[in-house]
Amino acid sequence: MTTTTQRHSHSIRDGLIGFGILTYLTLIGLPARFGEAAPLVMAVVTAAIIALAVRAESRHRPPAAVVQRALIAGAICGALIAALTGIFAVLLGNGVRIQPFLDKITPPNVAAWYGLLPTAVAQGQLAALDFLRPFLAVLLGGLIGGATMVGLRRIAARNTTNEASAWRWIAIGLPFILLIAVIILGQPTVTIGGGNKGTIRLLLAMLAVSAGLFAMRAARPGREQVVVSLALLAGLAALPFLLDQFQNSVMGIVFIFVMMGLGLNIVVGYAGLLDLGYVAFFAIGAYTYAFLSAPFSSPWFSQQLAAIGLPNDQPLLSFWQAIPIVMILAAIGGILLGTPVLRLRGDYLAIVTLGFGEIIRLFMLNLADLTNGPRGLLNLAPPTLFGYNLGNPRDVFILALLGSAVIAFVAFRLERSRIGRAWVAIREDEDAAQAMGIDLARTKLMAFAIGATFAGVAGQLYAARQVNIFPDNFSLFVSIDALALIIVGGMGSIPGVVLGAIALKGLPEVLRGVDEYRIVLFAALLVVMMIARPEGLLPSERRRMELHGESEAEAEAETEPAPVPARSS
Amino acid sequence: MGNIVSQSIVLPDTGRRARPMRWITRGIGILIVAIVLARAITVSIAEGYPLTFWASQLVNGLVLGGVYALVALGYTLVYGILLMINFAHGEVMMIGGVAGFFGLQLAQALGWMSGSVAQVAIALLAVMGIGMIGAMLTGVTLERIAYRPLRNAPRLVPLISAIGASLFLQYSVLLVFGVSPLVYQRPALISGGFRVGPVFIPYTGLIIFLTSLALMAALFIIVQRTRLGRAMRAVAADRDTAALMGVDVNQVITFTFLLGSALAGAAGVMLGFHNSVIKFNSGFIPGLKAFTAAVMGGIGNIPGAMVGALVLGIVESIGPSALGIPAEYKDIIAFALLVLVLIFRPQGLLGEALAEKKV
Repeated sequence: MTTTTQRHSHSIRDGLIGFGILTYLTLIGLPARFGEAAPLVMAVVTAAIIALAVRAESRHRPPAAVVQRALIAGAICGALIAALTGIFAVLLGNGVRIQPFLDKITPPNVAAWYGLLPTAVAQGQLAALDFLRPFLAVLLGGLIGGATMVGLRRIAARNTTNEASAWRWIAIGLPFILLIAVIILGQPTVTIGGGNKGTIRLLLAMLAVSAGLFAMRAARPGREQVVVSLALLAGLAALPFLLDQFQNSVMGIVFIFVMMGLGLNIVVGYAGLLDLGYVAFFAIGAYTYAFLSAPFSSPWFSQQLAAIGLPNDQPLLSFWQAIPIVMILAAIGGILLGTPVLRLRGDYLAIVTLGFGEIIRLFMLNLADLTNGPRGLLNLAPPTLFGYNLGNPRDVFILALLGSAVIAFVAFRLERSRIGRAWVAIREDEDAAQAMGIDLARTKLMAFAIGATFAGVAGQLYAARQVNIFPDNFSLFVSIDALALIIVGGMGSIPGVVLGAIALKGLPEVLRGVDEYRIVLFAALLVVMMIARPEGLLPSERRRMELHGESEAEAEAETEPAPVPARSS
Repeated sequence: MGNIVSQSIVLPDTGRRARPMRWITRGIGILIVAIVLARAITVSIAEGYPLTFWASQLVNGLVLGGVYALVALGYTLVYGILLMINFAHGEVMMIGGVAGFFGLQLAQALGWMSGSVAQVAIALLAVMGIGMIGAMLTGVTLERIAYRPLRNAPRLVPLISAIGASLFLQYSVLLVFGVSPLVYQRPALISGGFRVGPVFIPYTGLIIFLTSLALMAALFIIVQRTRLGRAMRAVAADRDTAALMGVDVNQVITFTFLLGSALAGAAGVMLGFHNSVIKFNSGFIPGLKAFTAAVMGGIGNIPGAMVGALVLGIVESIGPSALGIPAEYKDIIAFALLVLVLIFRPQGLLGEALAEKKV
């Protein structure tokens, strides 16, 4: 008896959660985005929510009960959302303007729920049957979600044969297939996708790079891995010459963020020092290069140069000459930031570094004499090589690729060096590491300095790419982007950084339409990621073991030998 | 167990080596304080502001400090119990302000805002109550969704989740309520102010300060005198032992978030009346400042948060003119103060020496 009521209360809870999520999506204006397809999209969203909700239960309950629960949840959710949109529709139909309060509750948005034209809602021409439509869409969505989950369980229970080796070859082959698709799409005679062809190519190129990362993982260690890696490198090297200007410029920014992410990965991923002010070093790199390359933009600098009799209307140093200076200044910045915060741990460190990042940005904004304030530093020189201008998107992409490769190699070697092991030891347990004879101060400062150096170089390349830089380019969000990309990719994992950069900096360019929702999407992703997969998409082996080593082994031990036929009875 | 082991290893070492270090940092700290004081004295003599100028800056500082204190208490309560920084607490405050805005619209639509003094006072309390309820719902939901599943995860994990939640709340408010800020219209009763001698005190400022004091007193009574407050203190002292003694830890944590969020919601509404606008990022900088205040006072320490907040509010409003630097640098002053406190006195002004161990 109690189990029945319990199950019903579960259905009600699931229905309410579904209603909350659908209401949120309506309030942020998602239905209007999808137009006529909105009821279908909302049904799919409901299906996903309900499927997740009944996932645990579908393990051990009879299918009919699970589907029934999904149906009840869908009905509750559908009735509530129909009532809510109905209220909105009636209000809008009577000429009440909701928009001053709820920005996205407009006739097109509400009409999308009914699959109608906006005028129908605005003029109150809704038939009684129309109100049933959202209800039915969500109800069916819930039913389908529950049924799908039951079906998936059935298939999973039946399908236990191991097909790992076939999957491995598919994984290794996929990047090359995608690369060929990129080449084919690049032919002027191929006209797939119409006006979106360029975007599709960009997406395919990014997918190819991501698939390459998985392929490296899938390959067996030894000769196979070497061959696959070399082939992938060749493919990557060919990429800049296959893509057009827009695609190259997006890939360029992605790989600039890879450079930066690899640096932050050392500080956060290896040494476990959460740095939220990492943009400071990126900014130091960019501004240092700007001062060296365009001293005429900075009032104070040009005055000083004039005073000592140097010409102030041309670059002081070329891009290549500036690199060592940028690296040294960024490293000094890292040590200066690192020294006072050596004694702090974890959360305090995060907040202090965040404060530092903001202080640097406020200085850039307010020290108008030096940095020209919000008007920024203009006309930076592009990198050149033997008189050849490397400022176009393709060459910037190549430079970013080379920079990423060098930094990735350095990071890879560092991780396996004495200092790399010391970083990991500090991350695991500072006290124990100190007891083992690790000099905490020196090791932490090394992490800060090396991470800062990489970010500085990334900042320099970024500045050269942008030509003009402004303080707004270096807001807190750059830090958060960089942090998020190493978390999404997998902390402490070099391929993870590349994957994270593609996911967070590249995909938004492809999904221009959802730009408005980018930050929300990705903030939600951070939370979900922390709950469901804190080790990231491409985790380093060690990290995965740390985060759910034992629990996973236990869970597997529990589920593996579970008698399959018993479930269906 | 692990704690005992690590202590027995570490303590002798810090005792032997850290002592000269400590004197060096102390010396540097004293030097910085001396330089800042010298600069402040020379500037204030050179500028020659009248005393009333300083007095009105002090009033501003106290009002600001009152708001910071309410938010800082939320950080401190949560930190004391979960040892985590609720990074999204500033956003909880902002959502309290948004909820209060809708309460205010309702009250205005019902015509309560232009009635008798008692009616307006009750309506204002109701608006604040709505803001508090909005914030409480947000705070508890936040804990349930973003923090509870991560309670036993490594420390970085809930912090990152909190950063995600903070961004999520900010930009959801931006999407749902639009870019234009929500404008609080002050009822005639609390617009304007009065003069004490030559110093002008706005009514909203006075109300904020008094309400903050009242709410802080209420919190103090709840924590010190009630059964749930005792449970809270027990969980803060040692969660596992408290659970063994029959304290429902989940309930206590939910209650903590309720209390902290209610205070933040009240702060959000009052900030709305004081600044007359609330928008999606209104909570971010005040949240950081309040966190600074909580750390300054010694995080996890309730009176410390109040003291820290008042000190921060005053320093922030007097600082720029005292040091003779433009007012745009007031955020820098606050952050610099945070950094300095963390370096030279990580346990905070009123904190116990434990702080570093707990971190």
